[in-house]
Amino acid sequence: MSGKSNMKFLYAGIVIALLISALAPFLASPDPDGLESAAGGVIEESRMSELEEMEPVVGSPMPDYSIEGMGKSGEIAAIALGTLGVLAISLGFGKVFNKKA
Amino acid sequence: MHIPDSFIPLTQAIVYWVIALPFIFMSMKWAKNELDEMKVPVLAALAAGIFAIQAMNIPIGMGTSGHMVGATLVAIVFGSPWAGVLVLTLVLLVQGFAFGDGGITTLGANILNMGVISGFVGYYTYAALRKSVGTSIAAFGGAWLGLFISAMACAVQMWVAGTFPLVPGLMAMGTFHLIIGFIGEGLITAVAVTAIAKSRPDLLEDSFAAGSDKYNTEVHA
Repeated sequence: MSGKSNMKFLYAGIVIALLISALAPFLASPDPDGLESAAGGVIEESRMSELEEMEPVVGSPMPDYSIEGMGKSGEIAAIALGTLGVLAISLGFGKVFNKKA
Repeated sequence: MHIPDSFIPLTQAIVYWVIALPFIFMSMKWAKNELDEMKVPVLAALAAGIFAIQAMNIPIGMGTSGHMVGATLVAIVFGSPWAGVLVLTLVLLVQGFAFGDGGITTLGANILNMGVISGFVGYYTYAALRKSVGTSIAAFGGAWLGLFISAMACAVQMWVAGTFPLVPGLMAMGTFHLIIGFIGEGLITAVAVTAIAKSRPDLLEDSFAAGSDKYNTEVHA
């Protein structure tokens, strides 16, 4: 592995990830995912609506990858922020754990 | 397949955390032993890419959608399922805390399903198939099976939790994730692995290089 080409891999990865972040709000299917859809099919309706009304134990700042009142641009921003957040955490994690360099 | 808090009672959710923790610990140990300045950029690129692609739900019909998980892809690139556990743990932490995608009490179960089970099944299936069917098809098969088995595990957890009935739960989760696994996991993983094998063959060779191959790898890197 050469260091230079791995940095290229990183830049290419960032570009692809940000591109997906920008497209996802428009292209992603709004249908429930496999688990939610299975739940809708096998759980009784009254129980299902009970489950759906239960609040998450810990609240989150950008629920459902959206920012309140910002529509599609908020969704793009939320996903891009998440992408960059994961990137920063991974790089930081790599710095902490990489003591051999 | 991100399980929300309401789907698993707290005591059971804690049990999944307890099962997941040694795996998370082992993935940290992997990072400590294996990560170096060369590998960190690759790990970070994959983690960011997987976070983004998990937001891209693909319609599979039947009013249902699904997205890639990615643990198998990371495991193949790094030649270790622990890398998959590590990346999925980071991604799921951000999804849970920042976006409410998957509960925090159920994060242990989600790490277990998507990081551990899908990554281990996917990687070792890939490793077993690779010599006979080639890298691309092995990556497809591994990723597909990894996602399917993790969905089965999730259905069993839902049954133990009293949330799903056993057989209908297995049938529904199985049907949806056979399709999600084919498109969302299998095809994307195969395309990504094939692209990496073409553009950066050294990355995949390093993953399997044992001592003697190292020299060759460095020559054409």
